[in-house]
Amino acid sequence: MHATLSMLLTQGGGHEAGGGGTFEPFFPGLVILLPLLGFVINGVLALQHARASANAVRVGGELELDGPRGRPSTHTLPSWVGPGVVLLAFLLVLVNFLRMLGAELHDPVVVSYWTWMATSTFTVDAALQLDALSMVMALVVTGVSFLIHVFSVGYMKDDPGYPRYFSYLNLFVFFMLLLVMASSYGLMFVGWEGVGLCSYLLIGYWFSDREKADAGKKAFIVNRIGDFGFLVAMFMLFVTFGTLDFAAIAHDAPETLIYGGGLVTAITLFFFLGATGKSAQIPLYIWLPDAMAGPTPVSALIHAATMVTAGVYMVARSSVLFAMSPVGSATVATVGVLTALLAATIALKQNDIKKVLAYSTVSQLGYMFVGVGVGAYAAGIFHLATHAFFKALLFLGSGAVIHAIHEALHHTHSHVDAQDMRNMGGLKQFMPITWVVMWVATLTIAGIWPFAGFFSKDEIIWQIAAFGGAEHAPFPGLYTFIWVLALVTAMLTAFYMTRLMVMTFHGTNRTGPHEARHLHEVSPVMWVPLATLAVLSVFGGWVNVPVAVQESFLGGMGALPMTDWLHHFLEPVTATAHTIHHDNLGELSHHAPWGGGEVAWALISTVVALGIVLASIRVVGGWKVKPAAEDAEPTGFAKVLSNKWYVDEIYDAVVVQPLLRLSRFCWKIVDAGIIDGFVNGVGYLARGFGWFGSLFQTGTVNTYAFILTLGVLVILGAVIF
Amino acid sequence: MTAMLESVGYASWALHALIWLPILGMGLVLWMEEARAKHVAFWLSLGVFVLSLGLWWAFDPASGAMQMESSTPWIASWGVHYSLGVDGISLFMVLLTTFTTALAILGSFNYIKKRQRAFYALMLLLEAGVIGVFVATDLFLFYVFFELTLIPMYFIIGVWGGERRIYSAIKFFLFTAFGSLLMLVGILYLFFKAKTLLGFPTFAYADLLQVPLTGSEQLWLFAAFAVAFSVKVPVFPLHTWLPDAHVEAPTPGSVVLAAVLLKMGTYGFLRFLLPLFPVAAQHPTVVSVMMVLAVIGIIYTAWVAAVQPDAKKLVAYTSVAHMGFVVLGIFALTVNGIQGGLVVMISHGISTGALFLLLGMMYERRHTREIAAFGGIARVAPWFATAFMITALASIGVPGTSGFIGEFLALLGAFETHPTLAIVAASGVIFAAFYMLPMVQKVFFNKLEKPESREMKDLSGRELAILAPMCALMILIGWNPTPFLSRMEASVQTVLARVEAAAPIVPATETEAAGVTLDTEPMRTTQPNDAAGEDALAEDHE
Amino acid sequence: MTLDFSSQSQFVWALLPEIALCAWGMGVLVAGVSGRNRPSRSDGTGEATYRPGTGLGWLALVGILVAAILNGWLYGVQEVGDTSMVAVDRFRLFANWIFLIAAALAILISFAYVARQRLQAGEFYGLILLSTAGMMFMAGARDLMVVFLGLEVMSISAYALTAFNRRDRKSAEAGLKYFLLGAFSTGFFLYGIALVYGSTGSTNITAIAASVSSGAASGGLLVLAVALLGVGFAFKVSVVPFHMWTPDVYEGAPAPVTAFMSAGVKTAAFVAFMRVFLVAFDGVYDIWYPIMWWLAAITMVTANLIALVQSNVKRMLAYSSVAHAGYLLVALTAANGTAAAGMLFYLLVYTLMNIGAFAVVITVARQGEERLQIEDYSGFGWSQPMLGVLLTLFLLSLAGFPGTGGFMGKIFLLQGAMDSELWTLSVILVMTTLVSYWYYLRVVWFMWMREPLSADQHLQAVAPLPMRIALIASAALILLLGLFPAPALEFARASIQGLGSLGAGLVGLAP
Repeated sequence: MHATLSMLLTQGGGHEAGGGGTFEPFFPGLVILLPLLGFVINGVLALQHARASANAVRVGGELELDGPRGRPSTHTLPSWVGPGVVLLAFLLVLVNFLRMLGAELHDPVVVSYWTWMATSTFTVDAALQLDALSMVMALVVTGVSFLIHVFSVGYMKDDPGYPRYFSYLNLFVFFMLLLVMASSYGLMFVGWEGVGLCSYLLIGYWFSDREKADAGKKAFIVNRIGDFGFLVAMFMLFVTFGTLDFAAIAHDAPETLIYGGGLVTAITLFFFLGATGKSAQIPLYIWLPDAMAGPTPVSALIHAATMVTAGVYMVARSSVLFAMSPVGSATVATVGVLTALLAATIALKQNDIKKVLAYSTVSQLGYMFVGVGVGAYAAGIFHLATHAFFKALLFLGSGAVIHAIHEALHHTHSHVDAQDMRNMGGLKQFMPITWVVMWVATLTIAGIWPFAGFFSKDEIIWQIAAFGGAEHAPFPGLYTFIWVLALVTAMLTAFYMTRLMVMTFHGTNRTGPHEARHLHEVSPVMWVPLATLAVLSVFGGWVNVPVAVQESFLGGMGALPMTDWLHHFLEPVTATAHTIHHDNLGELSHHAPWGGGEVAWALISTVVALGIVLASIRVVGGWKVKPAAEDAEPTGFAKVLSNKWYVDEIYDAVVVQPLLRLSRFCWKIVDAGIIDGFVNGVGYLARGFGWFGSLFQTGTVNTYAFILTLGVLVILGAVIF
Repeated sequence: MTAMLESVGYASWALHALIWLPILGMGLVLWMEEARAKHVAFWLSLGVFVLSLGLWWAFDPASGAMQMESSTPWIASWGVHYSLGVDGISLFMVLLTTFTTALAILGSFNYIKKRQRAFYALMLLLEAGVIGVFVATDLFLFYVFFELTLIPMYFIIGVWGGERRIYSAIKFFLFTAFGSLLMLVGILYLFFKAKTLLGFPTFAYADLLQVPLTGSEQLWLFAAFAVAFSVKVPVFPLHTWLPDAHVEAPTPGSVVLAAVLLKMGTYGFLRFLLPLFPVAAQHPTVVSVMMVLAVIGIIYTAWVAAVQPDAKKLVAYTSVAHMGFVVLGIFALTVNGIQGGLVVMISHGISTGALFLLLGMMYERRHTREIAAFGGIARVAPWFATAFMITALASIGVPGTSGFIGEFLALLGAFETHPTLAIVAASGVIFAAFYMLPMVQKVFFNKLEKPESREMKDLSGRELAILAPMCALMILIGWNPTPFLSRMEASVQTVLARVEAAAPIVPATETEAAGVTLDTEPMRTTQPNDAAGEDALAEDHE
Repeated sequence: MTLDFSSQSQFVWALLPEIALCAWGMGVLVAGVSGRNRPSRSDGTGEATYRPGTGLGWLALVGILVAAILNGWLYGVQEVGDTSMVAVDRFRLFANWIFLIAAALAILISFAYVARQRLQAGEFYGLILLSTAGMMFMAGARDLMVVFLGLEVMSISAYALTAFNRRDRKSAEAGLKYFLLGAFSTGFFLYGIALVYGSTGSTNITAIAASVSSGAASGGLLVLAVALLGVGFAFKVSVVPFHMWTPDVYEGAPAPVTAFMSAGVKTAAFVAFMRVFLVAFDGVYDIWYPIMWWLAAITMVTANLIALVQSNVKRMLAYSSVAHAGYLLVALTAANGTAAAGMLFYLLVYTLMNIGAFAVVITVARQGEERLQIEDYSGFGWSQPMLGVLLTLFLLSLAGFPGTGGFMGKIFLLQGAMDSELWTLSVILVMTTLVSYWYYLRVVWFMWMREPLSADQHLQAVAPLPMRIALIASAALILLLGLFPAPALEFARASIQGLGSLGAGLVGLAP
């Protein structure tokens, strides 16, 4: 069907883009402009509303939302504007995407609008790049964003800052699209920091709560550390290539840079520092769990589906550079897998439902980095996409749960923690839809056939083996190690997700007898997006069925359109990188370290995962979970895990406090003490000399005459001798 | 537009008008009665701004030379001329001056309650002086204006300032005067050289560029000038006058001080240090010293700012950090670096100016600048908070604001020649967030506890009229800096061309030694290895 | 007309301004003792508006006007040769202008004071005129004996003026000190003259110059002579360490007298200093160069530092005048045309700004000079804006700020120093100037940045008409010299004609 549609869509002569048909971009600028427009409209509404509520606060009250004439327009308009602009953007992207399908695009199409920065030696255009990668990303971003916007309409409807919320959300979409559609690192960086800014604003959305404001601040500052890396990498690129345009750099890199050279390694490592900041990898992942302070839809959109994957996108975008730096790639993969494992272990003992999901996100991001780290850029992006679906689903689902619990607690004015799974349990009878979709997502993330996660995750795990087994693979031992850890993490994932499900939905309800009466399923505006995402989570994986798997399971059907489809679609972007790999590493391996092919290990992992899920349903089900209030503090290793390995505490002691002490030292001692002390000292010294000199001014003539004579003698002495 | 300007002969009188209108305005303001003074002053300064806007079109971006030049003899026998002109570097400084002065005056309507006539007269005098500094093309004239700006600022801080105003005023005065007096000796030395080597007395910038100087001479003169300008910028460790001056100065004083007076230093670097002493300016030691100091300024002051309890002092320290980027960019001696530096100058002028105005508005409402005294006021003053947030983001250089363009280009330029230093300096972006965000949070976010905070009024119409154009400009430059960059390009190229044209330095030994120990010998003993001296004496006693 | 001094009568023409001034001085004295102008004892209030002596004041001013006219007339007079005892050159005439301006201003600012202190107006104004005449003699002297003569005429009148306020102990004490130390230094001076005569066989400056540069002069004696004459002058211009008398005398003397002395006496001494050293001792520059170098340095540093800690405005100004002597000495050390012209110009500016400053001090000090502490200036500017602005202007000019004559003067001096490549001295000059900013601006900040001690503190500080004339005139001139200095500069440069070789040509200054 898309073929016919794309036929319709590609009418009119576009410029020749590689072989095949022609690709005529369809108002790509509008894609970005629409969310910006939404931001402006909602922003104006927000300012207007804020003035009103401020006056209310000043006289010591709160602005009543539901006035005699119903909700003010400031609270009704955003419900349409917010999701509306994103939907339009999504449709525009879809049109472009289909047009691109129509014309097998090889070289990216760059649409330039104006010269952003220009000196005689340096130029960055305000230009958008349309190619397979940016299209896939834009589709995911706008699609998921739209669903989450819709969900937000229900989730945030009673929030006083409603219009402000949507203005931020739209602004985020704008920056995110800029990030993925920019045609140069320079412009990408605008989106890069822009999304960071929005995440800062949205995490601290309830800014009156100190902890939430702190979390936002932490996110921004930690992200800036990453941005610093990004900046430096850009400087190096400019000095090397004289430009920051993706196309040019990807084209020149193989000639300009030496494979495995120090420069390219430095560039990739600095870029990866940027990625660790934005995508919450070791050592900069610490901000993401705190970021859960934001509204849950925000966590779903920014801190699960889109923004945090920017790092992965950036590595994929720089595939050529990373391909040329084995060390860089190895670092990416190693850090990725370590993060995946560390986060998974922490997730085991978290009781806050969003914290579990947060660490699970960190863990899954680790997977993606492993993927792009082993040169499987398509696989990385693939997992990015599927993860966007199921993790958004998980977060929104948890959001629905929290929403329900919160309302229930609201009725009884109880103040227990609405996000603590120990206060949940047995919710499945209250909110069946949520229960079902959450299970779908859980099975997906656990990587069980035929859910999306199975394809994307096992693709990555397999690619590790394939890459590590390549003829001239660098540090082969390392990749075996990574491969093992990846498998282990997969099992941990299956466990902690099941634990989450069981603690939340199964067993007996622990919310409390009175509260329980008020528990109920969420409104359609919230569960419809959930359902949609569930569908995507189930079938999303089918866009890239590995050849081997397809042959073994559906061999009879012959080649399907979806067989390795994404892989092929992204080929134009990743081709150069793959050739570089191929030239330097030789043939990739066809069997895992300890024997067995792709299919075998896929079966093993999915069976094991399923086993763990079933087992842990029984195990966790058997636990006697107490409500948070009565629950005892964990001890021993469990304590370490539930305290997240004390990483925050260590950072505080090793970095933050020393820096503050140093700052105070610089201020009190160096600035006020030494420098100003010297300055004032000179002043006092001068006065002192003056005072000393004035001592001779005794007022008696004899002294004067004496000094006068003295002077004469000195002079005479001087001239004579 | 251009044609319209030509039809009124704009180019021939604009610069003079920009200097003399405010001075005439002084008289008018002093003659007004107290209540009207501020309105007269504001409309005057606004008129000056509108007038200066013409420069944008009358200026020819293609040429890097001085434009709209005019010159009339002032002190003929000394070769002093009243000569003015603008190029791509001074153009923006002039616009920045007229823009911020007008807004600063508008911003002081409620702040300045006593002795208004005198205050606004001084503001106008200050404006005239600063514009003079930026358009003077005669070093004598430049020096006169340079010093002239001290007096009004001294009074503005000393009379309308806070408790420690006198200490701060005199500290500001002596610090700056210290530098500029050394520069005076330098200027007169140049004059002396011109007189002896060119054969005629002149202070004209264009002529002094022709004076052939030995390497050691250049180093000495460079030092003299550099101290003068480094105090103004200020470059670490000559910066300690700034926090005091800022904290004590009344809002408009701080605004003009930060937005414009500091720029006189970096402007001096570009206009005089590099072109006049190109050999010294590219001497590896000199360059690395200046750049290292700049980097220290960026990092160190960011740290110090982070622990300030007084919001105004915090912003004052950030000024030093921002100007560090400018110095870094300038001494990178690359197009990107210098252009970046210029953009930072503009951006810092607007954003820090706006920050000081905002803090002033806070002070008018609460009579304190203690960060701890606030909290949660975003709930009662949302527009205020919005304006502050935008300004703060521009100040810490978030992409999409003017601050980013400047810092990015400056760092990029620095990286081209001094990668390591540039990387260290780039970490300044981290510390920028580290000092600015906590302040924003403590003031605007967190719980709204204090009852007096609850009383705080949001922006008034007048305040909105001040802040809106500033915020708009920050964002405009952030998204389309090209019109600005293109107007600087040619002039920056001219400066760089001159630097690159100069031969690399000869390690100075005897000449230097002689240079210092000279004067304990009588004049008539001609200096060895100093032909110039001989000429001088020959002419002296024919 | 031209003078060849073939007959004694020609000297009368050459000395016409001096003679006229002396005669007029006598006249004023006589008029003073005639009863009409004697202050009536009845009036004890000593209000500023008190009349007696006013007439005499105007009379004296007319005398100065006459002298001025004659001085102007002398420009039309050529002298033949340069050997006569009395020089008729532009150098002298320029100096005379300064003296006359100083005297005129001094008299204008004395009116109220004389009235308030119920001084003998006749003697007072008479002595000022005589002292002025003495100064003019010094400026015109081309013979050491004439220099000495002028010096004494000037000084003795100055001693008397210093002690003039009999009712004030400090005044008398100051007079005595001044007299004793003056006599002391005059001794050195005279001895110097004797030695010069001994070594060169002449007291005529031209003759001395000839024998010195020809090397005919016997070295040892000459060296001593130079040193002793230097000391003599150094005392008069109050150079450290021969300045000790200055603060006490300036503080003790009646304020108008202080103003007059600080300007006139210093100028006269410097003018003679220049003629003797730049012309007569031109040949032994190498001998006196280092002495002057060190004296200049020490003076600038010491004076400025001590001025920092003065809380009495009069004393502060005293030290500032010592400091200015240091600046001028730099130019003398430079000993070139630019420097010489610079000195003349600077002396003119200095006269204006110093007397101007003292004029305001007098106004603030009021009856009996009890308000001289810096605290007495708290908030002065806001309650007396006009006076405040004027004093600020004078102080800024003394500090050498752009827009004022003081700035142009300093630049001129520095140019002179540069031409002789006195880098270190130049740096010392500007750095000590930086120090001076502190104590000048201190007064300014008390005036504008402090609130008055009491509401009515400054109400009585009112300037009567003559005072206003003096203030406005000097302020206007300072601004004129600061903004449009070209004519005055040209005039000063032209006026070094007569200073031997320097007069001949000026380094590159010709446009």
